[in-house]
Amino acid sequence: MASPVDQFKLKTLVPFEVGGVDLAYTTSSLWMTITVVAVTLFLTLSMRGGRLVPGRWQSLAEMSYEFIANMIRENVGTEGRKYFPFIFTLFMFILMGNLLGMIPYSYTFTSQIVVTFAIAITIFLGVTVIGIVLHGFHFFTLFVPPGMPIVLAPLLIPIEVISYFVRPVSLSVRLFANMMAGHTMMKVFAGFTAALGVLGIAPILLLVALTGFEIMVAVLQAYVFTVLTCLYLNDAIHLH
Amino acid sequence: MNIRRVSSLAATAFLALVLFGQGATAASSSSGPKLPQLDVATYSSQVFWLIISFIVLYFLVAKLAMPRIAEVLEERQERIEDDLDKAETLKKEAYQVRIEYEKALSAAREKAQDATRHAQEEIAKRSAEAESAAQVKVTVMLEEAEKRIAASKTGTEGTSGDPISSLERSVAQEVVANAVQKLIGVDVTAADIDAAIAATLEERPQ
Repeated sequence: MASPVDQFKLKTLVPFEVGGVDLAYTTSSLWMTITVVAVTLFLTLSMRGGRLVPGRWQSLAEMSYEFIANMIRENVGTEGRKYFPFIFTLFMFILMGNLLGMIPYSYTFTSQIVVTFAIAITIFLGVTVIGIVLHGFHFFTLFVPPGMPIVLAPLLIPIEVISYFVRPVSLSVRLFANMMAGHTMMKVFAGFTAALGVLGIAPILLLVALTGFEIMVAVLQAYVFTVLTCLYLNDAIHLH
Repeated sequence: MNIRRVSSLAATAFLALVLFGQGATAASSSSGPKLPQLDVATYSSQVFWLIISFIVLYFLVAKLAMPRIAEVLEERQERIEDDLDKAETLKKEAYQVRIEYEKALSAAREKAQDATRHAQEEIAKRSAEAESAAQVKVTVMLEEAEKRIAASKTGTEGTSGDPISSLERSVAQEVVANAVQKLIGVDVTAADIDAAIAATLEERPQ
Protein backbone atom coordinates (compact mmCIF):
# COMPACT_ATOMS: atom_id res chain seq x y z
CA MET A 1 0.00 0.00 0.00
CA ALA A 2 1.20 3.49 -0.90
CA SER A 3 2.21 5.73 1.97
CA PRO A 4 -0.36 8.44 2.75
CA VAL A 5 2.32 11.04 2.17
CA ASP A 6 3.11 9.84 -1.34
CA GLN A 7 0.46 12.27 -2.55
CA PHE A 8 2.89 15.12 -1.84
CA LYS A 9 5.47 13.77 -4.29
CA LEU A 10 6.02 16.03 -7.26
CA LYS A 11 5.83 14.81 -10.83
CA THR A 12 7.95 16.62 -13.37
CA LEU A 13 5.75 17.65 -16.28
CA VAL A 14 8.23 19.73 -18.30
CA PRO A 15 11.92 19.35 -17.45
CA PHE A 16 13.64 22.72 -17.38
CA GLU A 17 17.11 23.54 -16.17
CA VAL A 18 19.11 26.78 -16.14
CA GLY A 19 22.80 26.64 -15.35
CA GLY A 20 22.48 23.34 -13.53
CA VAL A 21 19.58 24.64 -11.40
CA ASP A 22 16.45 22.53 -11.71
CA LEU A 23 13.49 24.74 -12.64
CA ALA A 24 11.24 21.96 -13.93
CA TYR A 25 7.53 22.59 -14.41
CA THR A 26 5.96 20.15 -11.95
CA THR A 27 2.47 19.32 -10.68
CA SER A 28 2.99 22.00 -8.05
CA SER A 29 3.76 24.57 -10.76
CA LEU A 30 0.76 23.38 -12.77
CA TRP A 31 -1.60 23.98 -9.86
CA MET A 32 -0.02 27.36 -9.18
CA THR A 33 -0.78 28.24 -12.78
CA ILE A 34 -4.33 26.94 -12.44
CA THR A 35 -4.68 29.01 -9.26
CA VAL A 36 -3.53 32.15 -11.06
CA VAL A 37 -5.99 31.53 -13.88
CA ALA A 38 -8.83 30.62 -11.51
CA VAL A 39 -8.36 33.69 -9.31
CA THR A 40 -8.12 35.97 -12.34
CA LEU A 41 -11.19 34.48 -13.99
CA PHE A 42 -13.12 34.56 -10.73
CA LEU A 43 -12.33 38.21 -10.06
CA THR A 44 -12.86 39.43 -13.62
CA LEU A 45 -15.69 37.34 -15.05
CA SER A 46 -17.81 37.82 -11.96
CA MET A 47 -17.42 41.59 -12.25
CA ARG A 48 -18.00 41.75 -16.00
CA GLY A 49 -21.62 42.80 -15.58
CA GLY A 50 -20.71 45.22 -12.82
CA ARG A 51 -24.31 45.38 -11.82
CA LEU A 52 -25.59 47.73 -9.17
CA VAL A 53 -27.36 44.85 -7.47
CA PRO A 54 -24.79 42.04 -7.58
CA GLY A 55 -25.53 38.44 -8.49
CA ARG A 56 -24.01 35.47 -6.67
CA TRP A 57 -20.60 35.48 -8.32
CA GLN A 58 -20.28 39.23 -8.22
CA SER A 59 -21.26 39.16 -4.54
CA LEU A 60 -18.53 36.62 -3.85
CA ALA A 61 -15.88 38.70 -5.60
CA GLU A 62 -17.02 41.87 -3.87
CA MET A 63 -17.16 40.12 -0.52
CA SER A 64 -13.58 38.86 -0.90
CA TYR A 65 -12.46 42.35 -1.83
CA GLU A 66 -14.27 44.03 1.04
CA PHE A 67 -13.23 41.30 3.48
CA ILE A 68 -9.56 42.07 2.87
CA ALA A 69 -10.20 45.82 2.70
CA ASN A 70 -11.83 45.68 6.14
CA MET A 71 -9.12 43.42 7.49
CA ILE A 72 -6.46 45.94 6.49
CA ARG A 73 -8.49 48.88 7.78
CA GLU A 74 -9.00 47.21 11.14
CA ASN A 75 -5.53 45.73 11.63
CA VAL A 76 -3.27 48.20 9.90
CA GLY A 77 -5.27 51.38 9.44
CA THR A 78 -5.26 53.81 6.57
CA GLU A 79 -1.50 53.44 6.04
CA GLY A 80 -2.19 49.84 5.00
CA ARG A 81 -4.09 50.98 1.89
CA LYS A 82 -0.85 50.86 -0.16
CA TYR A 83 -0.37 47.17 0.56
CA PHE A 84 -3.97 46.25 -0.27
CA PRO A 85 -3.17 44.78 -3.73
CA PHE A 86 -0.40 42.62 -2.29
CA ILE A 87 -2.44 41.35 0.65
CA PHE A 88 -5.49 40.75 -1.52
CA THR A 89 -3.36 38.79 -4.01
CA LEU A 90 -1.78 36.85 -1.15
CA PHE A 91 -5.17 35.93 0.30
CA MET A 92 -6.67 34.90 -3.02
CA PHE A 93 -3.58 32.90 -3.98
CA ILE A 94 -3.49 30.91 -0.75
CA LEU A 95 -7.27 30.54 -0.54
CA MET A 96 -7.60 29.32 -4.12
CA GLY A 97 -4.54 27.06 -3.74
CA ASN A 98 -6.03 25.49 -0.60
CA LEU A 99 -9.48 25.07 -2.10
CA LEU A 100 -8.28 23.69 -5.43
CA GLY A 101 -6.27 21.19 -3.40
CA MET A 102 -9.55 19.74 -2.18
CA ILE A 103 -10.37 18.52 -5.68
CA PRO A 104 -9.47 14.81 -5.92
CA TYR A 105 -6.25 14.16 -7.90
CA SER A 106 -5.26 17.81 -7.74
CA TYR A 107 -2.12 19.04 -6.03
CA THR A 108 -2.04 21.31 -2.99
CA PHE A 109 1.04 23.49 -3.41
CA THR A 110 0.46 25.02 0.05
CA SER A 111 1.29 21.62 1.54
CA GLN A 112 4.89 22.25 0.50
CA ILE A 113 6.94 23.79 3.30
CA VAL A 114 9.25 25.45 0.81
CA VAL A 115 6.33 27.27 -0.82
CA THR A 116 4.80 28.52 2.41
CA PHE A 117 8.22 29.39 3.79
CA ALA A 118 9.15 31.32 0.67
CA ILE A 119 5.99 33.39 1.01
CA ALA A 120 6.47 33.84 4.77
CA ILE A 121 10.12 34.87 4.52
CA THR A 122 9.26 37.35 1.76
CA ILE A 123 6.60 38.89 4.00
CA PHE A 124 8.97 38.89 6.94
CA LEU A 125 11.75 40.61 5.01
CA GLY A 126 9.37 43.03 3.35
CA VAL A 127 7.75 44.00 6.64
CA THR A 128 11.13 44.46 8.31
CA VAL A 129 12.35 46.66 5.46
CA ILE A 130 9.15 48.73 5.63
CA GLY A 131 9.66 49.16 9.37
CA ILE A 132 13.27 50.24 9.04
CA VAL A 133 12.51 52.61 6.15
CA LEU A 134 9.64 54.21 8.07
CA HIS A 135 11.27 54.46 11.48
CA GLY A 136 15.02 54.05 10.95
CA PHE A 137 16.88 53.01 14.08
CA HIS A 138 13.74 53.67 16.11
CA PHE A 139 12.30 50.50 14.55
CA PHE A 140 14.29 48.41 17.04
CA THR A 141 12.17 49.73 19.92
CA LEU A 142 9.76 47.09 18.60
CA PHE A 143 11.81 44.64 20.66
CA VAL A 144 11.27 46.62 23.85
CA PRO A 145 7.81 45.91 25.27
CA PRO A 146 6.14 49.12 26.42
CA GLY A 147 6.25 49.74 30.17
CA MET A 148 9.00 47.11 30.68
CA PRO A 149 11.02 47.52 33.93
CA ILE A 150 14.66 48.05 32.94
CA VAL A 151 15.73 45.11 35.15
CA LEU A 152 13.82 42.74 32.91
CA ALA A 153 15.44 44.03 29.72
CA PRO A 154 18.11 41.30 29.49
CA LEU A 155 15.37 38.70 29.69
CA LEU A 156 12.54 40.26 27.68
CA ILE A 157 14.50 41.74 24.79
CA PRO A 158 15.99 38.40 23.69
CA ILE A 159 12.55 36.83 23.97
CA GLU A 160 11.07 39.56 21.79
CA VAL A 161 13.90 39.22 19.27
CA ILE A 162 13.51 35.46 19.10
CA SER A 163 9.74 35.67 18.76
CA TYR A 164 10.22 38.20 15.98
CA PHE A 165 12.58 35.98 14.03
CA VAL A 166 10.42 32.93 14.60
CA ARG A 167 7.54 34.64 12.83
CA PRO A 168 8.31 33.40 9.30
CA VAL A 169 8.76 29.88 10.65
CA SER A 170 5.49 29.80 12.59
CA LEU A 171 3.66 31.49 9.75
CA SER A 172 4.85 29.01 7.14
CA VAL A 173 4.71 25.88 9.31
CA ARG A 174 1.15 26.63 10.39
CA LEU A 175 -0.15 26.68 6.82
CA PHE A 176 2.03 23.82 5.59
CA ALA A 177 1.23 21.58 8.57
CA ASN A 178 -2.50 22.21 8.37
CA MET A 179 -2.58 21.36 4.70
CA MET A 180 -0.33 18.34 4.94
CA ALA A 181 -2.08 16.95 8.02
CA GLY A 182 -5.52 17.31 6.49
CA HIS A 183 -4.62 15.67 3.23
CA THR A 184 -2.67 12.91 4.95
CA MET A 185 -5.57 12.16 7.26
CA MET A 186 -7.97 11.94 4.34
CA LYS A 187 -5.61 9.60 2.55
CA VAL A 188 -5.33 7.42 5.64
CA PHE A 189 -9.11 7.08 5.91
CA ALA A 190 -9.36 6.45 2.19
CA GLY A 191 -6.84 3.65 2.70
CA PHE A 192 -9.00 2.18 5.46
CA THR A 193 -11.95 2.20 3.11
CA ALA A 194 -10.03 0.27 0.51
CA ALA A 195 -8.82 -2.24 3.12
CA LEU A 196 -12.16 -2.77 4.89
CA GLY A 197 -14.28 -3.66 1.86
CA VAL A 198 -18.02 -3.51 2.75
CA LEU A 199 -17.26 -2.12 6.21
CA GLY A 200 -15.45 0.69 4.43
CA ILE A 201 -18.69 2.66 4.52
CA ALA A 202 -17.74 3.93 8.00
CA PRO A 203 -14.47 5.60 6.93
CA ILE A 204 -16.26 6.96 3.86
CA LEU A 205 -18.81 8.70 6.06
CA LEU A 206 -15.96 10.05 8.12
CA LEU A 207 -14.25 11.20 4.93
CA VAL A 208 -17.34 13.15 3.93
CA ALA A 209 -17.26 14.96 7.28
CA LEU A 210 -13.49 15.45 6.95
CA THR A 211 -13.91 16.95 3.50
CA GLY A 212 -16.22 19.61 4.93
CA PHE A 213 -13.82 20.18 7.77
CA GLU A 214 -10.85 20.48 5.41
CA ILE A 215 -12.66 23.03 3.28
CA MET A 216 -13.18 25.05 6.43
CA VAL A 217 -9.50 24.67 7.30
CA ALA A 218 -8.56 25.76 3.78
CA VAL A 219 -10.49 29.00 4.20
CA LEU A 220 -9.49 29.50 7.81
CA GLN A 221 -5.79 29.04 7.14
CA ALA A 222 -5.86 31.47 4.23
CA TYR A 223 -7.52 33.94 6.58
CA VAL A 224 -5.05 33.30 9.41
CA PHE A 225 -2.08 33.68 7.09
CA THR A 226 -3.41 36.96 5.77
CA VAL A 227 -4.47 38.40 9.10
CA LEU A 228 -1.04 37.62 10.59
CA THR A 229 0.57 39.36 7.64
CA CYS A 230 -1.60 42.37 8.45
CA LEU A 231 -0.57 42.26 12.11
CA TYR A 232 3.13 42.07 11.21
CA LEU A 233 2.64 44.96 8.82
CA ASN A 234 0.89 46.90 11.57
CA ASP A 235 3.82 46.27 13.92
CA ALA A 236 6.22 47.59 11.31
CA ILE A 237 4.13 50.70 10.65
CA HIS A 238 3.01 51.55 14.17
CA LEU A 239 5.70 49.70 16.19
CA HIS A 240 3.45 49.02 19.21
CA MET B 1 -6.94 35.22 18.66
CA ASN B 2 -8.45 32.12 20.20
CA ILE B 3 -9.21 30.46 16.88
CA ARG B 4 -5.68 31.10 15.76
CA ARG B 5 -4.19 29.59 18.89
CA VAL B 6 -6.43 26.54 18.70
CA SER B 7 -5.74 26.03 15.03
CA SER B 8 -2.01 26.35 15.52
CA LEU B 9 -2.15 23.88 18.39
CA ALA B 10 -4.17 21.53 16.20
CA ALA B 11 -1.65 21.97 13.42
CA THR B 12 1.20 21.08 15.72
CA ALA B 13 -0.66 18.02 16.94
CA PHE B 14 -1.39 16.90 13.38
CA LEU B 15 2.19 17.48 12.38
CA ALA B 16 3.43 15.39 15.29
CA LEU B 17 0.95 12.67 14.42
CA VAL B 18 1.95 12.60 10.79
CA LEU B 19 5.68 12.72 11.47
CA PHE B 20 5.25 9.91 13.96
CA GLY B 21 3.23 7.91 11.45
CA GLN B 22 5.76 8.69 8.80
CA GLY B 23 8.57 7.52 11.05
CA ALA B 24 6.74 4.24 11.53
CA THR B 25 6.21 3.69 7.79
CA ALA B 26 9.77 4.75 7.04
CA ALA B 27 11.01 2.29 9.61
CA SER B 28 8.91 -0.51 8.14
CA SER B 29 9.77 0.17 4.49
CA SER B 30 13.19 1.79 5.20
CA SER B 31 13.52 3.09 1.69
CA GLY B 32 13.20 6.46 -0.11
CA PRO B 33 13.06 9.96 1.38
CA LYS B 34 11.08 10.47 4.58
CA LEU B 35 8.73 13.23 3.51
CA PRO B 36 8.39 14.43 -0.09
CA GLN B 37 8.24 18.01 1.21
CA LEU B 38 11.72 17.65 2.68
CA ASP B 39 13.26 16.73 -0.68
CA VAL B 40 15.54 19.73 -1.15
CA ALA B 41 16.04 18.92 -4.84
CA THR B 42 12.51 20.14 -5.63
CA TYR B 43 12.91 23.48 -3.84
CA SER B 44 14.50 25.51 -6.61
CA SER B 45 11.82 24.75 -9.16
CA GLN B 46 8.99 25.26 -6.67
CA VAL B 47 10.28 28.63 -5.52
CA PHE B 48 10.95 29.68 -9.11
CA TRP B 49 7.42 28.89 -10.25
CA LEU B 50 5.97 30.34 -7.06
CA ILE B 51 7.68 33.68 -7.75
CA ILE B 52 6.52 33.71 -11.35
CA SER B 53 2.95 32.71 -10.49
CA PHE B 54 2.68 35.18 -7.67
CA ILE B 55 4.07 38.11 -9.64
CA VAL B 56 1.78 37.34 -12.59
CA LEU B 57 -1.22 37.03 -10.28
CA TYR B 58 -0.24 40.25 -8.49
CA PHE B 59 -0.32 42.23 -11.72
CA LEU B 60 -3.52 40.58 -12.92
CA VAL B 61 -5.24 41.29 -9.63
CA ALA B 62 -3.84 44.76 -9.04
CA LYS B 63 -4.16 46.08 -12.60
CA LEU B 64 -7.09 44.13 -13.97
CA ALA B 65 -9.42 42.84 -11.29
CA MET B 66 -9.19 45.34 -8.45
CA PRO B 67 -9.83 48.55 -10.38
CA ARG B 68 -13.01 47.04 -11.77
CA ILE B 69 -14.24 45.91 -8.37
CA ALA B 70 -13.35 49.28 -6.84
CA GLU B 71 -15.17 51.03 -9.67
CA VAL B 72 -18.34 48.99 -9.19
CA LEU B 73 -18.25 49.45 -5.43
CA GLU B 74 -17.64 53.18 -5.78
CA GLU B 75 -20.47 53.47 -8.28
CA ARG B 76 -22.79 51.75 -5.87
CA GLN B 77 -21.58 53.91 -2.99
CA GLU B 78 -22.18 57.02 -5.07
CA ARG B 79 -25.58 55.82 -6.07
CA ILE B 80 -26.48 55.13 -2.46
CA GLU B 81 -25.19 58.53 -1.36
CA ASP B 82 -27.05 60.14 -4.22
CA ASP B 83 -30.25 58.42 -3.19
CA LEU B 84 -29.69 59.39 0.41
CA ASP B 85 -29.13 63.00 -0.64
CA LYS B 86 -32.31 62.92 -2.65
CA ALA B 87 -34.18 61.45 0.27
CA GLU B 88 -32.75 64.16 2.51
CA THR B 89 -33.88 66.90 0.13
CA LEU B 90 -37.31 65.40 -0.17
CA LYS B 91 -37.53 65.13 3.58
CA LYS B 92 -36.61 68.77 3.95
CA GLU B 93 -39.18 69.70 1.35
CA ALA B 94 -41.83 67.69 3.11
CA TYR B 95 -40.89 69.39 6.35
CA GLN B 96 -41.20 72.79 4.70
CA VAL B 97 -44.57 71.87 3.29
CA ARG B 98 -45.70 70.65 6.66
CA ILE B 99 -44.62 73.87 8.32
CA GLU B 100 -46.46 75.86 5.70
CA TYR B 101 -49.52 73.71 6.11
CA GLU B 102 -49.41 74.15 9.84
CA LYS B 103 -49.03 77.89 9.42
CA ALA B 104 -51.99 78.00 7.08
CA LEU B 105 -53.97 75.82 9.43
CA SER B 106 -53.29 78.03 12.44
CA ALA B 107 -54.06 81.15 10.40
CA ALA B 108 -57.36 79.64 9.33
CA ARG B 109 -58.11 78.66 12.89
CA GLU B 110 -57.39 82.20 14.06
CA LYS B 111 -59.61 83.56 11.34
CA ALA B 112 -62.39 81.23 12.33
CA GLN B 113 -62.04 82.26 15.96
CA ASP B 114 -62.14 85.90 14.91
CA ALA B 115 -65.27 85.32 12.90
CA THR B 116 -66.89 83.49 15.79
CA ARG B 117 -65.97 86.27 18.18
CA HIS B 118 -67.33 88.89 15.78
CA ALA B 119 -70.54 87.01 15.33
CA GLN B 120 -70.95 86.58 19.07
CA GLU B 121 -70.33 90.28 19.64
CA GLU B 122 -72.81 91.16 16.91
CA ILE B 123 -75.40 88.85 18.41
CA ALA B 124 -74.86 90.30 21.87
CA LYS B 125 -75.08 93.84 20.51
CA ARG B 126 -78.19 93.16 18.55
CA SER B 127 -79.92 91.33 21.34
CA ALA B 128 -79.05 94.15 23.73
CA GLU B 129 -80.44 96.66 21.27
CA ALA B 130 -83.60 94.67 20.75
CA GLU B 131 -83.96 94.23 24.47
CA SER B 132 -83.59 97.92 25.19
CA ALA B 133 -85.98 98.76 22.34
CA ALA B 134 -88.51 96.30 23.72
CA GLN B 135 -87.97 97.75 27.17
CA VAL B 136 -88.72 101.23 25.86
CA LYS B 137 -91.80 99.95 24.01
CA VAL B 138 -93.05 98.12 27.09
CA THR B 139 -92.51 101.18 29.22
CA VAL B 140 -94.36 103.31 26.72
CA MET B 141 -97.18 100.79 26.55
CA LEU B 142 -97.35 100.54 30.31
CA GLU B 143 -97.49 104.26 30.59
CA GLU B 144 -100.14 104.39 27.93
CA ALA B 145 -102.13 101.66 29.63
CA GLU B 146 -101.84 103.36 32.95
CA LYS B 147 -102.94 106.60 31.34
CA ARG B 148 -105.83 104.81 29.72
CA ILE B 149 -106.82 103.16 32.95
CA ALA B 150 -106.65 106.46 34.72
CA ALA B 151 -108.58 108.12 31.92
CA SER B 152 -111.28 105.45 31.96
CA LYS B 153 -111.54 105.72 35.71
CA THR B 154 -112.05 109.48 35.65
CA GLY B 155 -114.39 109.18 32.63
CA THR B 156 -116.80 106.89 34.44
CA GLU B 157 -116.79 108.93 37.50
CA GLY B 158 -117.41 112.09 35.48
CA THR B 159 -120.75 111.06 33.71
CA SER B 160 -123.04 110.72 36.74
CA GLY B 161 -123.31 109.75 40.37
CA ASP B 162 -125.09 106.60 39.29
CA PRO B 163 -123.64 103.34 40.51
CA ILE B 164 -124.80 101.78 37.20
CA SER B 165 -124.30 102.95 33.69
CA SER B 166 -127.01 104.18 31.35
CA LEU B 167 -126.68 101.08 29.20
CA GLU B 168 -127.25 98.82 32.19
CA ARG B 169 -130.18 100.92 33.16
CA SER B 170 -131.78 100.71 29.74
CA VAL B 171 -131.20 96.95 29.51
CA ALA B 172 -132.67 96.48 33.01
CA GLN B 173 -135.65 98.66 32.14
CA GLU B 174 -136.41 96.57 29.04
CA VAL B 175 -135.96 93.27 30.86
CA VAL B 176 -138.10 94.37 33.75
CA ALA B 177 -140.84 95.73 31.41
CA ASN B 178 -140.94 92.48 29.51
CA ALA B 179 -140.93 90.36 32.63
CA VAL B 180 -143.74 92.34 34.27
CA GLN B 181 -145.79 92.16 31.04
CA LYS B 182 -145.37 88.42 30.90
CA LEU B 183 -145.90 87.77 34.58
CA ILE B 184 -148.71 89.99 35.47
CA GLY B 185 -149.89 91.49 32.20
CA VAL B 186 -149.31 95.05 33.31
CA ASP B 187 -147.50 97.59 31.16
CA VAL B 188 -144.98 99.53 33.17
CA THR B 189 -143.32 102.76 32.05
CA ALA B 190 -139.70 103.61 32.19
CA ALA B 191 -140.32 106.06 34.92
CA ASP B 192 -141.88 103.39 37.14
CA ILE B 193 -138.98 101.11 36.63
CA ASP B 194 -136.52 103.86 37.38
CA ALA B 195 -138.28 104.55 40.56
CA ALA B 196 -138.25 100.85 41.47
CA ILE B 197 -134.56 100.58 40.74
CA ALA B 198 -133.82 103.60 42.81
CA ALA B 199 -135.76 102.16 45.64
CA THR B 200 -134.01 98.83 45.40
CA LEU B 201 -130.64 100.44 45.28
CA GLU B 202 -131.40 102.44 48.35
CA GLU B 203 -132.72 99.40 50.27
CA ARG B 204 -129.65 97.26 49.34
CA PRO B 205 -126.95 97.43 51.91
CA GLN B 206 -123.82 98.91 50.49
